[in-house]
Amino acid sequence: MLSNVGFLSLFFGLISSFVVFLYSVLNIKKNSLNLEKKIYKFLTLQFFFVVISFFILSYSFFISDFSNATVYNNSHSTKPLFYKITGLWGNHEGSLLLWLLVLTSFILFFFFNSKNEIKNFRLYTVIFHQIIVIGFFIFVLKTSNPFDTLFPIPPEGLGLNPILQDPALAIHPPILYVGYVGTSIIFASALAAMVTGYVNSIWAKNLKKWVLISWTFLTGGILLGSIWAYYELGWGGFWFWDPVENISLMPWLSLTALLHCISTLEKRDLLKSWSIILCIVTFMLSITGTFLVRSGILNSVHTFANDPSRGIYILSFLFILIFMSFVIFFIFESKNLENKKQIFFLSKETSVLINNWFMIYFLSVVLIGTVYPIFLDVITSEKISVGPPFYNKLLIPFLVPFFLFMSVGPSMNWIKTNLKFKVSYIYYFLLTSIATGITVYFLSQKNLLTIILIFSLFFLIIKTLPNFLKNNTNNSQNLSHLGFAMLMLSILFNSVTSTEIIKNIKVGDSFISKNEKITFKKVRTEEEKNYSSIIGIFEIKNNNNEIIKLNPAIRIYNQPVVATSEAAIKTTLFKDRFITINLIKDEQLFNVRYQNKPFMIWIWISTLIIIFGGTFAIFSKKKNYP
Amino acid sequence: MTKKKFIILLILFTNIFGNCYSENEPYSKLENDIAKNLRCLICQGQSIYDSNSEFALSMRVYIKDQINSGYSESQIYKMLVNKYGQWIVYDPGYSKKTFLLWVIPILFFLLGGAIIYLKIYKKKNI
Repeated sequence: MLSNVGFLSLFFGLISSFVVFLYSVLNIKKNSLNLEKKIYKFLTLQFFFVVISFFILSYSFFISDFSNATVYNNSHSTKPLFYKITGLWGNHEGSLLLWLLVLTSFILFFFFNSKNEIKNFRLYTVIFHQIIVIGFFIFVLKTSNPFDTLFPIPPEGLGLNPILQDPALAIHPPILYVGYVGTSIIFASALAAMVTGYVNSIWAKNLKKWVLISWTFLTGGILLGSIWAYYELGWGGFWFWDPVENISLMPWLSLTALLHCISTLEKRDLLKSWSIILCIVTFMLSITGTFLVRSGILNSVHTFANDPSRGIYILSFLFILIFMSFVIFFIFESKNLENKKQIFFLSKETSVLINNWFMIYFLSVVLIGTVYPIFLDVITSEKISVGPPFYNKLLIPFLVPFFLFMSVGPSMNWIKTNLKFKVSYIYYFLLTSIATGITVYFLSQKNLLTIILIFSLFFLIIKTLPNFLKNNTNNSQNLSHLGFAMLMLSILFNSVTSTEIIKNIKVGDSFISKNEKITFKKVRTEEEKNYSSIIGIFEIKNNNNEIIKLNPAIRIYNQPVVATSEAAIKTTLFKDRFITINLIKDEQLFNVRYQNKPFMIWIWISTLIIIFGGTFAIFSKKKNYP
Repeated sequence: MTKKKFIILLILFTNIFGNCYSENEPYSKLENDIAKNLRCLICQGQSIYDSNSEFALSMRVYIKDQINSGYSESQIYKMLVNKYGQWIVYDPGYSKKTFLLWVIPILFFLLGGAIIYLKIYKKKNI
């Protein structure tokens, strides 16, 4: 019953989308005050219907209404309430409903927030955006209806994948979706600006907020996913160049390029075509991500169901959008996007170009690395794996020049910079050399590439820090750049100094790792509502006789029956101690993996600093930086 | 060179002490490094090193045996690729099949550099 209402509400949502679309198309030539009110009304209505469906599905999860197929497949009556609700987007159908919710709220928000912009630009943005909205409405209704009903009503649900029952992962999808869906506004706005000849600094200034919102949330979503992978997947890593991770990284890279490019357009009225291309590419990458993940081509925790009809639908949708963007781009490109301004070598414009150059290169590495195996499989039916060795070889050497350009780029002026020799440069250089020397000595590093990377990163940090003190400086940019440098440095330190030891031991045994003695005290079992766990009690004694207790566990979930290994992590400012246990078949032994991971928390802190930078930029008053 | 030395040492060590490695210390560093570069074929996106599945455990025994019989890291990869296909190693390696994989990104980089160069220098001459 309730499910039918939810479905009907979605259907009405689709109808309102059509109304908005047609009404906007028919009224482009007209000019009346009523127009705005009508579009408002129907956009609100469209949003309202999606909200109703969303609430109905939430409620079905809340009361564990197993007559609903989505609830039946992904929930269980013994699950904690929090995971019942967040289980809504832990599956294909529900997550698409969430996608629709964000999509429809954003276009409403855009319309509300763009009152000062020209009428036709707003109308065209709504039109292009409605094409996406309608596409997704039909996708949900036709191939992934979250309101399918079951009869007879099953007494109990199948449960949610246990590794998804986790607080970080519960909020990871909504945050990530805000980032992804934000790119749909960027896309629609770019097409509309081309059609109406509105690609100028005002447009860039307004669009920049949307770029910042998407970028900040995408960064946050990736951060949450990494944190989750770190403590939940039980191997102590946070990034594995898994295709699903790459898919979130690709739009991030092109958004970062766009963020720099759009500032140039705002300040100098330059790089118009390129900005438009980046806007389109960013959104395409988001949709491609959805296609690759949802079609079952890639295997991961994100692949909820392998239904080929879904993949085909998204693929056709993607082709329509690409075709549309191409046509619009080629019709209007020459008319609207001309610029004949000169770019001088030593200028901020050049630094932005260099940033974009590297970003696109990184993007191409990740993109080729992700899709090449798929194409090779289709064409020659040979399967290859493209893993960390590939990315390390192609990315790391290019990071050195990238960091160096990044350290000098922000101090360039627009138009032209007169390079004067300053004594401070010698200080920067000396300071960097000393810092690098000390660090390399303490890490006892002999790898030349690592030393060069440390040097360039220290230079970047030392060059960025004084920027905070300058007058008239863009502090959100400084913050994000500093955060990025710290992130890279923490990852580098972490990867060269991490140690680990794997032992098969019995209860009561102990072993030595570096200066620490790890003792396996005892085993305890516990019963929870939705799982039972075997907990290992460990004590770690260091040189100063301080004792740290760590309790890693093996959880056996009841619905569905799955065993997961829960890591125990002791985080301090300088290092994480990470321990997991696993059962070994037919033996009294436990497989214990103990890892020392220095600077782990700094990886998260620096990413948060990047996010703070983005957040400040979103809320900053429109100041004009030089 | 150092790798060879290391393997020779390892062989000597295992020959002198026989099955000295106890259940207590299951894997050497080399074994871990190899395991990190191998895909667990029955898992979803995990390496042999990260997985605790039976496949991963039997692979680990296999790696240990091969090292003990004196095979080198690259020889072990080669044997596994012959048996399971290229899918099992995370390093795609350089071959005819992977030629484009390595070259396309580099072409992107060169192309981008060329465009920027033209953008900055060509216009000055006009």
